[in-house]
Amino acid sequence: MIWKRGILLFLLALTGLVLETSVLGVATLDGSKPELLLLMTIALAMNEGPAFGATAGFVLGIATDVFLGLPKGVSALVFTAVGYGVGRARAQMSAPTAWLPIVMVAGATLGGMLAYGGFGMLLGEHVSSRELFRHAALSSAYNALLTPFVFPIVRALGARLRPAGVVR
Amino acid sequence: MIRMFDRTRRIRLLLAVLFTASILVITLDFRSDGNFLDAIGRGAMTVVGPLQEGARTVFRPVGNFFAGFTRVGSLKARIAGLQQENQLLVQREEQVSDIQRENGSLRKLVGLRERLRLKTLTARVVGVGPSNFEDSVFLDRGSADGIRKDMPVLAGDGLVGRIIQVGRHTSRVTLLIDASASVAARIARSGEIGVVDGAGERELRFELIDPEANVERGDRVVTSGYDNSVYPPGIPIGTVARLAPPSQSLSRLVYVTPFVDFTALDFLLVVTGPQK
Repeated sequence: MIWKRGILLFLLALTGLVLETSVLGVATLDGSKPELLLLMTIALAMNEGPAFGATAGFVLGIATDVFLGLPKGVSALVFTAVGYGVGRARAQMSAPTAWLPIVMVAGATLGGMLAYGGFGMLLGEHVSSRELFRHAALSSAYNALLTPFVFPIVRALGARLRPAGVVR
Repeated sequence: MIRMFDRTRRIRLLLAVLFTASILVITLDFRSDGNFLDAIGRGAMTVVGPLQEGARTVFRPVGNFFAGFTRVGSLKARIAGLQQENQLLVQREEQVSDIQRENGSLRKLVGLRERLRLKTLTARVVGVGPSNFEDSVFLDRGSADGIRKDMPVLAGDGLVGRIIQVGRHTSRVTLLIDASASVAARIARSGEIGVVDGAGERELRFELIDPEANVERGDRVVTSGYDNSVYPPGIPIGTVARLAPPSQSLSRLVYVTPFVDFTALDFLLVVTGPQK
């Protein structure tokens, strides 16, 4: 039944990339765009657990790097870590509130973008710290705004395509 | 318990595999140009490209709507800047229109002077007569410039009036439309002669000597230059606008629309001497 999960990831990657590069490329927040694939990773991690969160992070991260021509592997590494971290953190929470998804998305996006910028610097890219923090803050705010729209869809798809007997 | 431990180990193993794979990809990409991942990316673009176009077409209004919200601040500043620029451009356009109008007026004067071959002096209207019962203007030339009383004054389109008062550096012109003004004139087509009088209105009265004079609507009226008139012959006055109903009078009355627009006088020619 892994192929169901494969279909899910493929659909999410395709939709996310198309939307990120068309609609959301125009509607920026003071020049910053949302990280839609990272948002999807976080949503999957929160709903499906750390294992699938890490896997989804790897697949969606690779898709981001390959399609957008970014340094290959960096997004995969960051998204994997975020997916696993969010999944583990969610598993520790016994009484989630309605605000939890938005707070998790904002925090995880901020951390993920800062980590991405840090890796970029390690690989020799010239990144202004001030600009990195500004973009990270704006993108996490943008992702938080998109959470109420993305979460229900990802949760519904995840539940529909969850193989039988899988423990989240 | 053992199952949970196994599960935790499996997740950690998965995580290690994924991290290792990511680092391998980073290394592979860093060490070589144009690797197979780039080829996959190019292939993906071929597939995704049409979808992007479609999504952009469908969602462009939505994207632009939300983009508008985020750019309100900068758009306001831009609007203020553009409004200021627009104001400057409008002012400049008015200046240009003014200059063009002056240019046109001067060209007409030059053309008229060359056609009539008269000695003239160019003057500019600097004021309007103060009374409601007379139609006159002030010029910026006077006796110091060679201006004398009764000298005819022309505009580019035709006759304006004559000098009635002269100062050292300024002079006053009675306009043709003034109730006290009159000039000997003729119909350019038929040669019928008469006297044109100002009526204090925009139309001039033209009284033809012959009660059965050959005159039609649209006929050009010019100065006749008869009886030692102060006005040289051939200066355009206006066109016949309407004919008064025939009467038992010993003359024929018609009404003339002047060529000159007396509400927009600017540069004028003062005829200072006889024809060359």
